[in-house]
Order: sequence, then C-alpha cells, then structure tokens
Amino acid sequence: MSEYIWRATVNGRKAEIAADPSDKLAALLRDDLGLTGTKISCELGRCGACMVLLDGKAVNSCLVMAYQCSGKAITTIEGLAEGEGLHPVQQAFLEEGGFQCGYCTSGMIVAVKALLDEHPSPSAEQIKEGLSGNLCRCTGYGGILRAVNSCAKIYTS
Amino acid sequence: MLLNRESAGKRWKTRPDGPAKVTGSLSYLTDLSVPGMLHGKVLRSLYPHARIMAISIDEALKAPGVAAVLTHRDVPGLNGFGIVTPDQPVFCSEVVRYTGDAIAAIAAETVEQALYALSLIQVDYEPLPVVTDPEKALLEDAPQLHPGGNMLHRTDYSRGEPEQAFEDCAYVTEGIYYTPRQMHAYMETEGGLFVPEESGRLTVYAATQHGFKDRMQLSRILAMPEEQIRIVSSPIGGSFGGKDELNVQPYGALLALATGKPVKIHNSRRESVTAGLKRHPMKLTMKTGMDRDGKLLAHEVKIVADTGAYSTLGGPVLNFATEHSIGPYRIPHVSVKGVSVFTNNGVSGEFRGFGGNQSIFALESQLDRLAAAAGMDPWVLRRINLRERDDPGPLGQTVLPSEGPEQVWRSVAASPIWLRKEQMDRGEIKTPPSPWLKRGVGAAMTMHGSGLGYGIPDPGGGRLGLSADGKLEAAFSFEEFGQGITATLEIMLTEMLGCHRDDLRIVIGDTDRTPHNGSSTASRSTTVAYMALKDLVPRISEILCRIASLAAGLPASELQTGPGGVWHKVAAGGYKKRDKKTASPLITYAELAAAAGEAIQLEADFHFPVTPDPVVGGHYLYTATAAAVEVEVNLLTGAVSVLDQYHAVAAGPVVNPMGYVGQIEGGSVMAQGFALFEDVCFSEGVPRTMNFDTYLIPGICDISPGFHIDAIQELPQDDPYGPRGIGEVGSVVLAPAITAAVHHAVGISIGKLPISREELSGILPDLLAEKVGTP
Ligand code: FES
Ligand code: FES
Repeated sequence: MSEYIWRATVNGRKAEIAADPSDKLAALLRDDLGLTGTKISCELGRCGACMVLLDGKAVNSCLVMAYQCSGKAITTIEGLAEGEGLHPVQQAFLEEGGFQCGYCTSGMIVAVKALLDEHPSPSAEQIKEGLSGNLCRCTGYGGILRAVNSCAKIYTS
Repeated sequence: MLLNRESAGKRWKTRPDGPAKVTGSLSYLTDLSVPGMLHGKVLRSLYPHARIMAISIDEALKAPGVAAVLTHRDVPGLNGFGIVTPDQPVFCSEVVRYTGDAIAAIAAETVEQALYALSLIQVDYEPLPVVTDPEKALLEDAPQLHPGGNMLHRTDYSRGEPEQAFEDCAYVTEGIYYTPRQMHAYMETEGGLFVPEESGRLTVYAATQHGFKDRMQLSRILAMPEEQIRIVSSPIGGSFGGKDELNVQPYGALLALATGKPVKIHNSRRESVTAGLKRHPMKLTMKTGMDRDGKLLAHEVKIVADTGAYSTLGGPVLNFATEHSIGPYRIPHVSVKGVSVFTNNGVSGEFRGFGGNQSIFALESQLDRLAAAAGMDPWVLRRINLRERDDPGPLGQTVLPSEGPEQVWRSVAASPIWLRKEQMDRGEIKTPPSPWLKRGVGAAMTMHGSGLGYGIPDPGGGRLGLSADGKLEAAFSFEEFGQGITATLEIMLTEMLGCHRDDLRIVIGDTDRTPHNGSSTASRSTTVAYMALKDLVPRISEILCRIASLAAGLPASELQTGPGGVWHKVAAGGYKKRDKKTASPLITYAELAAAAGEAIQLEADFHFPVTPDPVVGGHYLYTATAAAVEVEVNLLTGAVSVLDQYHAVAAGPVVNPMGYVGQIEGGSVMAQGFALFEDVCFSEGVPRTMNFDTYLIPGICDISPGFHIDAIQELPQDDPYGPRGIGEVGSVVLAPAITAAVHHAVGISIGKLPISREELSGILPDLLAEKVGTP
C-alpha cells in the first residue's frame, strides 16, 4: 500500500487521502471525496469540464497530480457559493440560460469566476481568452456570454 | 417576433433543473456509485475487419480483483442489438466489423484491475480486407460484411419524367456534394450504473433517448421479461441522437447479473469515439434544371450513405435524407435514388437533423448554382418555386397545411443581413481594407419533418394526476439531455393549470414510473407534451374542482385550479385580481389529495400525427426554417469566420423562450462545426481523431458576434398540434447558408464539407496577381 498521504484544503475543509502521488486531482475529488460536480470528459486538458480553482487559479483537474496540489487550497463548484444561496456567477448562469445539459457547467462557472476575479469587467477579447479552454456542445455559448456579461455588471457595481 | 432575452420578458423562465446544474449537485448517471460496486470495461476489436480465430480468457480470469469475464458464450438471450434490426453483436464470436466491436467485458474491483485484465485476454484474429469506400462496397467482388450483402437500405422515389424534362430546361446544373463524419461530441461520455436488485429485478441507470426501447432490447439480450428491468435514463450530459442506440448497457447489465453486484461503466473519450455513432457521411449527386423564368422543372438525386458496420437507424436516416433532398419546392419531375451501404468505418447512425443536414446542404447549393448560372437573385429563385399552404409534402404525401416556408422566406428577405447583401451588391458597403479579407452573405431554407414518419410506431401520451402527498404529478417517458423538456413541461403545466411550479412533480426518464409515450427524438416531445396536456389538463381540473366543490359547498363551475390549490373564481379575473398576501386557495392540493382518498391518475394515449398516405418515412408535421449569415473569408489562412446570423423559425407558439433560443443557438454552432471543421478522420477503417485535441468542435472564439432569431408563431387557423419541436432545425440550414456566403465573398462554390481551408487560401495567388495586374 502507498504510504503517501495527500493533504489539501478542499472547499475550506481539510482533506486527507491515502493516495498515489500521481493520482489525478479529478479522481481524488470525484471518487475519494464524492465531489462529483467536477466532471471528466476528455481527460487531456482540452475541454475544461474538470476545471477547479487551485489557490484561486483555474486548472484542469484531470491534468493535476496529487503531489502537485498537496497543501494547496482547492475550490470546486460545490464550494463556490457561501452559505445557502448561489454565487453570483451561478445565479447568472441560471437566469441567462448559460447551460443546457449542464455537463460543462461546473467547469465553465469555475472558469468564469476565475476570469472575473482577474478582470471584473472583461473585454470581449478577455472573455474569449478566459473561456477558450472550456468546451460546451449544447449552448453555442450564447447563454454563457449573456451570463458573463450580466455578472460583469454585478462585479463592477 | 425577434426572440431574445429582452423580448421574452416575464416569459423567460429559469429551468427547474437549473439550481442543481449550476451548483454541481446534480448526479448524472455516470456520477452514481454504491459501496461494493464493481467496475466494468469492454474489450474492443483491434481490427476494423477480421475473423476471430480464438478467444482465451483464462489469464484474465486469474487476474487480481476480477469478478467476471464475459464473451459471446455468456449471452443468455439474443446476441445482438439494433433499434430496427439487431445485427450488431453484443459480443463478436466469428467476425469483427469495426474497431468498436466488443469481444469481451470484465468486471473487477477497480478500473485499473479491469483494464489490466483486459490486456490479458488473448484474441487471435485473421485480418480481412477492409471496406472503406461505400461505392466500391457495392461492387460485386467487394468483401461482404453481412449475410445479406453490403446494402443496408435503398430508397427510390420518382414523379414525372425527369429525364425528358431536363431537355426543356434552359439551365441545368450538376453537382456532387460530400458531407463529413461529424461526431456528436456530447460532453458526458456513455456510462452508468447497473444494479441487480434483491427482488431479482435489474435497474439500469444509463443514458438513452428511449428508455422503453432500451428495456425491450435488454430483455431480448438478457432473456429476461421486460417488467423485470427498470431503465432510469435521466439526467444526461448531452446526446444529440448519439445515445439513442444501446451502447454500454448490454455489458453493464450482463456483468451485473453475472456477478450479482452493482457494476459501473464509464467510457473514456477514446472508447466513446471508437464505439459510438457518428453522422452518416454522404455523397450526393444532383442534377437540377429550370426554365428561363427560374421555374424548377427537374431534379435528379443520387445519395450514397456510409452507414458503417451496423444498421441501427441507417435505414430511416436515408429515408429522411431522401425526403429532404426535395425540399419545400414545387418541382414537377423528380427522381431520388438513395442507398445506404455497410463499410468498416465505425457505425453511422442517428444525429440531430437525421440525414436532413446532408441533403439540405446539397439541394440548397444546387439552387444557388442555378441562380448564379441564370444571373438571378438566389432568394428570388426560391420564392418562385416555393410550395404553397395546401401543397402535398415532398414525397407527394398529404401533410398538414403550412405557411411556414413562405413565412421564413419573407422573414429572411426582410432581414438586416439580407439587406446588407443587397447593399454589398450595389457597392454601398465598404469592403475590409485588407485585400485578403472578403465578406459575403448567403442564405438557405428548408422544412424539416418531426416525428418518426409513416410506417414507424410513434406512440404519444402521458400521465397527469394528483399524488397522495398533494403534488400535481406529470409523468412522461422523455429524457432530459439538456434540451429542456422538463422546463417546457413545467411552463405548459403552470400556464394551463394556473398552478405554481412548486405544486408540480415532473417525472421523466424512468420506465417504472412513467407511461410509454415514445422516444425523446425527432423533434417530437414538445408536440407530444402539448397534445397530451391539452387532453389531460381539462380532465384533471374538472375532477379537482368537483372534489373541491363537495368540500367547499360551492358549485364546481365557480371553481378553478390555481397556485397552491383550487380557488374561487372571483368575478372578473379569478385569483389573479386578489390581494396576493391574503389570498389563499379554498382548498389546497394536499387537502384535495386527502379528500380524494387515493392518488388520481389520468392517462392520455395517442399516435404522433402521421400522414394518412402510405409513403414510408413521409412526415405530416414540419418546422420551416431559414437562415442568413454574413461571413468573412481570410484568404491568407483559408479560415471562414461567421460575423452575423439570422434564423427564421416557424414552429408555432413559443412555449419556453430560454429553451427555444438555446436550441437555435446551440444547433447553429454545431452546424458551424459541420460546415467548417468537424470530421472524424478514418484511415483504413481506423479512427484517427480520438479526442478533443484532434477533433475540434467550436469554442467560444468561433462564434458569431451577431445572432438573431425570428420566432414566427402564427399557425393556420384551427391548427390542432400547437408548438412544434425546434431541437433540430437550428442545425440544418446553416451549412448551406455559410457556403453560399463564401461563394458570395470569393466566388468559390463549395462541394465538400467541412470547407477546405487549402481550397480557399489557394485562390489568393490568383487574386493578388489580378490586383497587381500581371500579364
Ligand atoms: S476532462 Fe479535464 S480538460 Fe477535459
Ligand atoms: S451545457 Fe451541455 S455541454 Fe455545455
């Protein structure tokens, strides 16, 4: 058995898992911690369905290995909202129709949060750049852009 | 009306499945797990075509953690599946016909153990010649892939005397069109959980678009009565037709029954690409002629569809392509001959648009070429030939009268994008300063059938009632894969019953808990839901008001359903006019349920509207659509950018504005991928684009800044069928509109999708030479 213990803060709580240093963060979250809001789709860093925040930066959790993120703070879709309500980005996705099947949505919302944290009032170019790693097959991105724009208003006000 | 977030106003409703989706708390079927479950993996073929000489599983059985290794010897029932013809083996025993063919399946304690054990299975193959070209597959000396040969299906439709009529034509154009092997690319790959219950029943949690069909197919394979199987098929992370056929279900079910333990399977993207369905690549050869005034006289079509290794819905897809190659036009002399051919190129099957996408691209391109030949405006050419309200359908069959084609034609003719084209043609719009950037505008249209068509059972119906706990419960056998059927049902119910969304319980995607009202395909669900509720809502209201009348001592005629329960119809306007704070129902739904003593359940049962004429595959209901786009072609790179697009859709009343807009936006971007870059490349029967690193789907950088939808809601008077489905129409006319715009921009008529960048950038030298005036 492996003697490696992966320790990190996940959504504000301490997590400790007997793991392999090369285990993927996506698997630790989904299989060990039961946080299935983080999805897997391509498992090679091209779709963003598995995106989470690692010390506040958006990363594809299918590409991050346990040893690379041990001791860090990880925020998944489940940890975005404080308290009962929705995070403003979640609220905007809900109201603007920023999702359909919802399978890209966790990663997309995480990416939008990271984008807005960096650029509270992003330009069209910054939006494209910030979300270019997140694929959505359902929406055609129209609802996602509406959501980003409506949050940008909230973020800046 | 121009439909968008603003114009929808208060009718823009959030989705009932929304909160769980934006918080990540929704469990998809591939997210499920239970303690003690095993993990399943499937061994797929190493070759696209080979004879199996021997299969040895001895080593795999001994591998750590392995609970079962199954092959063709372990299928208790029919070793085959396929919605129409079950010719795809669950496990191959003698021959493999594509690299997705399954040979064995393993259940082990971990995924790693299952994969390791797979590597220990010994299969001896004798490779056979690979059939990759559908036309060559029809030659006599071609290797035969099935006992009945290489032809899956043939269509042959004709009217008039096309051959003779071509002689009377002033203009004739001949074209050959090729369309790509598009992948559905749903973000959630196939998978689920398979649970043997203590009662001896089996519960299957796996995505499909027709739970009851899966139940029937699994019952054949497992030799188990249908009632012993429960299919839970929602929620789904995208499908677009791709999960309509069985995929991992036979393996999960067999492994679960063999081990007596729950088994989870979740395909990797590679497995999904290898085994999953794709859109039929087609070669369409068309000859179309018209007279001097632009009246179409004759149209000859030959379709060759590459259906891959197995049938699934290849036959009906060809029927649909045949019907839609004629379009919403009056053409007196027509001949369409189609053939769908088996090859070793994966499996082609059902995919949003269902064969229409290919035909419509070819037909609309033909009309543009004719217009160019005659020096006519392409949109005027369509008007001259457009069908009228009471005309028969494309195959001469009786169809519901529709003004849709004319409505969408007019809408595009008056659209800002089309007006811009006219301005461009008059030289009133400045062209981009860089000589390698060229802009153009194009448009295309169609009428797209909904429902499965004549000759295929297409049951409709649903159930509505009051449950014992006081919920108005609606049950339909639909699946939710993102299209928004739950939102549509919720909106219809709250509007028809006047109730609150919290009063409702909507049950879908569960064969134990819903009646069978057909598949969630073919743009049929909205119509089925509307027809069912139009029948059920007055019946349940009547019953509820009758019970309330006894309890309240008021005549039922003075009562009506509303938020929270049954209300007194206060003069002029009912509960709506009363003070919201103090108003309350006379009797709540919970009290009504208690008063009723038992759950109330009403069912509706009907057949989806179908043409009375025995024309196989012919439709009765259609949604007309047209799109205009403006593109910019970069001749340095050959890239085509879509700058602006306008969709006119005549689908009757808009029930769910958010869903409507989302379907057109999403369908259109998918069609943009079809037109500009998507194609699963195969070499010698082996797929080469195995994931999103090489198979590119549109990203946020690819979408057009402008997007407009004209939702035309007017239906002919007394139209009984209400809102039409719009799940497919967003994706069927964009490709020919783009190629028309490219032609307008750079003068190249595109015959092959996706548009080759090399072809476009290849004209730059000539263009520059022209500019500097070399001799
Ligand atoms: S699953 Fe991680 S990027 Fe696609
Ligand atoms: S909502 Fe389905 S992939 Fe984005």
